[in-house]
Amino acid sequence: MEITIDGQKFEVKEGITLLEAAKQKGIYIPSLCHLPGRDPSPRPCGLCIVEIEGEPEPVRACETRVRPGLCVSTNTSRLKEIRRQILETLIGRHYGDCKAPCSAACPGGINVQGYIAHIARGEFLAALNLIKEKNPLPLSVGRVCPRFCEPRCRRVLVDQPIAINALKRFVADWALAHGETIPERLPETGKRVAIIGAGPAGLSAAYYLTLYGHQVTIFEAEEEAGGMLRWAIPNFRLPVEILKHEVQSIINLGVKVKYGKRWGRDFNLKTLFEAGFEAAFLAVGSTKERTLDVEGQEEAIPALKFLKMIKKGQSVRVGERVVIIGGGDAAIDTARVCRRLGAEVTLIYPRSRMEMLAHQREIREAEKEGVTLFLMATPLRITRQGSRLEVEVARTILSEPDERGVRRPIPMPGTQRIFKADTVFSAMGQRADTAFRSYGELEARLKTSPGGQIKANPSTQATNIKGVWAGGDFVSGPRTVIQAVAAGRRAAESINLYLCGTKKTSVFVSPRFNFSRGKRLDEVDVSQYQHIPSRPREAMPERDPELRITDCDEVELGYTPEMAIREAKRCLKCGCLGLHKCDFREVLIKEGVSVTNPLKKPRYEIREDHPFINLDLNKCIRCFKCVRVCDYGGIELDIIDLGEGIEEIHLEFTDKCVSCGSCVDVCPTGALTKKAAVVPRARGEGKKINSVCPYCGTGCNIQIIVKSNAILEITADAQRPPNYGSLCVKGRFGFTFYKSKDRLTKPLLREELDEAFREVSWDEALDFVAARIKKIVHQYGPHTFGVLSSSRCTNEENYLAQKLARAIIGTNNVDNCARV
Amino acid sequence: MLCGANPTEAHPVVGQKILHALKKGTKLIVIDPRKTYLAARADLWLSVRPGGNIPLLCGMLKVIIEEKLYNKDFINQFTEHFEALERYLATEWSVERIERLSGVPWVFIEQAARLYARAEKALILYGLGVTEHRGGTNGVICLANLTLACGHIGRAGTGIMPLRGQNNVQGACDQGTLPYTYPGYQPLTEDTLAKFEEAWGVKLPRQPGLMEEQMYEEALKGNFKGLYIIGYDVAQTQANIAHVWKALSRMELVVVQDIFFPLTGRFAHVVLPAASMLEKEGTVTNGERRIMRVRAAVSPPPEAWPDWKILCELSKRLGYEICYRSPRDIFEEMRFLMPIYAGASYERLDSSEICWPVPEEDHPGTKILYTNGFPRGKASFGIPRHWPPGEEPDKEYPLILITGRRLYHYNCGSMTTHSDGFLEVCPEECIEINPRDALALGIKDGDLVRIISRRGEIEAKAKLSNRVLPGQTFMAFHFKDRLTNILTSEAVDPKTYTPEYKITAVRIQPL
Ligand code: SF4
Ligand code: SF4
Ligand code: SF4
Ligand code: FES
Repeated sequence: MEITIDGQKFEVKEGITLLEAAKQKGIYIPSLCHLPGRDPSPRPCGLCIVEIEGEPEPVRACETRVRPGLCVSTNTSRLKEIRRQILETLIGRHYGDCKAPCSAACPGGINVQGYIAHIARGEFLAALNLIKEKNPLPLSVGRVCPRFCEPRCRRVLVDQPIAINALKRFVADWALAHGETIPERLPETGKRVAIIGAGPAGLSAAYYLTLYGHQVTIFEAEEEAGGMLRWAIPNFRLPVEILKHEVQSIINLGVKVKYGKRWGRDFNLKTLFEAGFEAAFLAVGSTKERTLDVEGQEEAIPALKFLKMIKKGQSVRVGERVVIIGGGDAAIDTARVCRRLGAEVTLIYPRSRMEMLAHQREIREAEKEGVTLFLMATPLRITRQGSRLEVEVARTILSEPDERGVRRPIPMPGTQRIFKADTVFSAMGQRADTAFRSYGELEARLKTSPGGQIKANPSTQATNIKGVWAGGDFVSGPRTVIQAVAAGRRAAESINLYLCGTKKTSVFVSPRFNFSRGKRLDEVDVSQYQHIPSRPREAMPERDPELRITDCDEVELGYTPEMAIREAKRCLKCGCLGLHKCDFREVLIKEGVSVTNPLKKPRYEIREDHPFINLDLNKCIRCFKCVRVCDYGGIELDIIDLGEGIEEIHLEFTDKCVSCGSCVDVCPTGALTKKAAVVPRARGEGKKINSVCPYCGTGCNIQIIVKSNAILEITADAQRPPNYGSLCVKGRFGFTFYKSKDRLTKPLLREELDEAFREVSWDEALDFVAARIKKIVHQYGPHTFGVLSSSRCTNEENYLAQKLARAIIGTNNVDNCARV
Repeated sequence: MLCGANPTEAHPVVGQKILHALKKGTKLIVIDPRKTYLAARADLWLSVRPGGNIPLLCGMLKVIIEEKLYNKDFINQFTEHFEALERYLATEWSVERIERLSGVPWVFIEQAARLYARAEKALILYGLGVTEHRGGTNGVICLANLTLACGHIGRAGTGIMPLRGQNNVQGACDQGTLPYTYPGYQPLTEDTLAKFEEAWGVKLPRQPGLMEEQMYEEALKGNFKGLYIIGYDVAQTQANIAHVWKALSRMELVVVQDIFFPLTGRFAHVVLPAASMLEKEGTVTNGERRIMRVRAAVSPPPEAWPDWKILCELSKRLGYEICYRSPRDIFEEMRFLMPIYAGASYERLDSSEICWPVPEEDHPGTKILYTNGFPRGKASFGIPRHWPPGEEPDKEYPLILITGRRLYHYNCGSMTTHSDGFLEVCPEECIEINPRDALALGIKDGDLVRIISRRGEIEAKAKLSNRVLPGQTFMAFHFKDRLTNILTSEAVDPKTYTPEYKITAVRIQPL
């Protein structure tokens, strides 16, 4: 029969509902409670309403059967308004974090909660691979990242935040020691990309572009790669060998690096394009140092210059007393290096400790190592007195607010004093350098901001010139390594799309559709964490301050596997573990209804008493799908109206529940989740592998969701026989054995039964077996030997087992375990 | 009709499909000594005495014959020897004898027979409750007789189907890992042997092979010296394991391949680490003869190998190079040599599963067998003689122990006891006892008790349950610390050598 939906005519089968018809024809009608083949919900969601020509009131598409000539509208403003009201009521009753605050805070976009979960289960390589999806420099970033995530960690409301970065470093170190899997590279595209600068942004772009199959050449002005990681960060924070290893692992993917090639001297954009490169990524960093603005400033050595000399291994004399002016990372690093050179160090900074740009933790470490801070003070002049210097310093007070309301530190009259020093360093940060504009005609056309920084699109890193991208400190001014890494990845994605001729399809979902338990920590209701026993974070093992200033070796030693697992287990798993199946959020996005007024406090405790299923009623949208899908009466669900729009949900698993997990798979939110599925993921994330359940002879089809060599969960395809989506507890939940630490991992051998087993090589084991079989066959005849095969092995293996018996050993003594 | 099977626990998705059918109005007969989940929901539950399948099923046949409920046309057209069966039932099986040996009142048997025979479509599903008896083969013959007599076969929704215990029981047998048949059920005839000799390029043995139980017998007599075991924990899951242990200890070489250290490892010289089903490629064939692809989702532990690779490497060392690069190569050889698999290919299996026989690439596969007669011509009714159980309860051992499976574990327990959550729900083996027996013995729920059979004794916690009738008890054998099979009977079906797991006479002592 023919019906019309939204002005389009369709031929549809008789007997089906409008909802099914629309779905078959690819027309979207929102629906949250419809469950094919089951009774309708006692509380219809009402979202599937449509208008039918000639009928005054909207009707529900899930319970309206198609009729010839039906003329339906699915998306009128009246319908949208009704749906908006329904959704807003649901929003007002919903409480949770779609995304964990740590993951949301990471500028690199790393799935932080996910890799912590992998670590907690001992899946270190899976954790590393998840990190490397977004950050190919975990060894380095794991050592130097200022940790945007940790201050957001909700565990602070219990005791202390999770040591997220230390965990990242742990898996990177673990893989360094135990070997890691080489990432998969897409087939060669034959396209060539030039990257200017082998710092974090350039290396990151090179990594992803290479994996996309492009041919990448990096042009680096220095003789080694790493950028600021190589030349500014002292060895005691990031040992040079670690960085070299990380760089090498990227180069090993097939990246070419040309060292000693300087942009503007050896090549420019035009010559690159002429040489056959189809895209260029500018990531030369920001190295121009600001100078001190006081008399005698030429006596002060720029900190970055000094750090670079140190990193180059040059011997530098700083004398007995050092004064450093500045409060950023370079200032603190310089101070700590000078301590290691045996100097007494005073660091002068015009504001308070909290306002220093360096990471507070690094400041504390510097103090432990004996650096003296002289805060709220500013230099007035530097004068040379023979071989020594004198720095005149005054205390500061804050000025009256200027026209923009900013209060600046100004010298307080009468507080001057003199610091004597052998060396004075200035660490005033970097500034933009527009010298590149003279490098060539294309360069001259690159747009810059008023501050002199090059302009690039923040989500694609594209510049105003076709085929040219830019990122990292070169664009943003001095920022952190992870920000540069993220810019490199964004550029790589955008360059890939450009080279493959595809338009970017926006997968970005605005955070306005994300529920959050509180954007700021002080908005988060603390009562939900009260029952969690306090367990402070694993202390990072570090070398004693007195000892460590005698050399330049690494200060922090890293976690052991046991410490890492313990630390990872502290994670509160904030991010919703139903995100990948959440139809509710999907409907909000499709209907454009943002989360403006969600529930502010949890109403229910999260329950973990079911052996396989967790229950968070704060996310239940009362669709009754779970109850309706259950064939066993495993769930009792009552909703009690308390008046004034307030309801109370009672959901209990009964003793009839057989733990099949069907309810979890149909639940359209994160209200029901699987205990074993602990890595949050987006819809469609992870590979789907069709296979067969390893248990009973029903031979159910299973769909294994895998990522980074770890099974995330097992479900079943509703279309495939023999089970058509059904699974039992063993099929859905009985897979974690594969990574049990009790697995047999080495051949075991003993000559006689009264001996103990020895672990041996495969060669030794198989040689032994073959020799004994030959001896038995020779001595007693083939009919004294037998093979028992398994109903738990594949057909191919069973076939080989009988072939082994018959063709190789020469006996029909072969049987299997079918009788058990 | 569900006979000797508890799919709710052992084949849960089959159990669920039966529930769906019940909702739609399908009638269900359950033949089981225990009041299983489906027995409690059946239209008719025949609580047969353990060992009484043959009398009960003969009783049903008797009713069908006496009341002329059989399908005369079908019998005439497709079967032979019906009269012999008629005579046998009339002379051997009086109502009184049937009631006494089956423990089921005649009226119930009559009702079941009528329900089954009169149904437009009737399907029999059976499990180890039929086969794991001394009279296992004859029990199956009874079921076959029923389907033939009523013509309930060869049409959708009818037939007879064994519920296969493990995911590739069907496939293992299809590939000829049985002493009496070559792959694809090709009999050990000179023709078959010639075909395989040509393909494999070796002279093949003529001497018939031994079944597993016979191997143990021979070993104890000193005539059997070595066993190569793949993914099968015989020392835990065989019946009467003390006997198996003794036999294994007398061998000069025992090799096992497994994913966890099996109990059999205690009797082995070599234990080899294997990849699990989640870590390898290949095919399996389920109970519907559906050939399905297994795919590696993750890689095995670094030094664990898929079983096929181990066998290839071993073959090389035995002087026969079989160089398959992948399971696909092996499958190609199988197709070439097995007419029933010939039309299946990995390409076809990629998009859909196929039920064998599938003789050609363009053959759709065979979902229903015998739609048009039987391969041997006419199907023959069998004469199912009654084999009483190997042991009956007596004064000294007054209770019957039935073994079976539990929902939350699987066979030797290696996969479930190592997966999260399962030990939480079902942490240990226990013995289910009817509250009446428990009261008489002074046993409370949760008490540790000693269970003693003629062969040995073990301890386990008692669980009072009405699922078992008075006089009967129930245990599974999923745990290594409560070895139920120390107790189980030594009796076997004389034809298939299947042990009588279902009936052991035991005594229970409170501790
Ligand atoms: S259930 Fe959906 S909307 Fe709610 S927190 Fe989870 S992902 Fe967000
Ligand atoms: S796990 Fe299965 S049996 Fe238990 S409540 Fe959910 S659907 Fe019902
Ligand atoms: S738990 Fe999930 S499936 Fe059940 S009513 Fe709530 S939202 Fe719906
Ligand atoms: S009311 Fe139709 S889908 Fe919910």
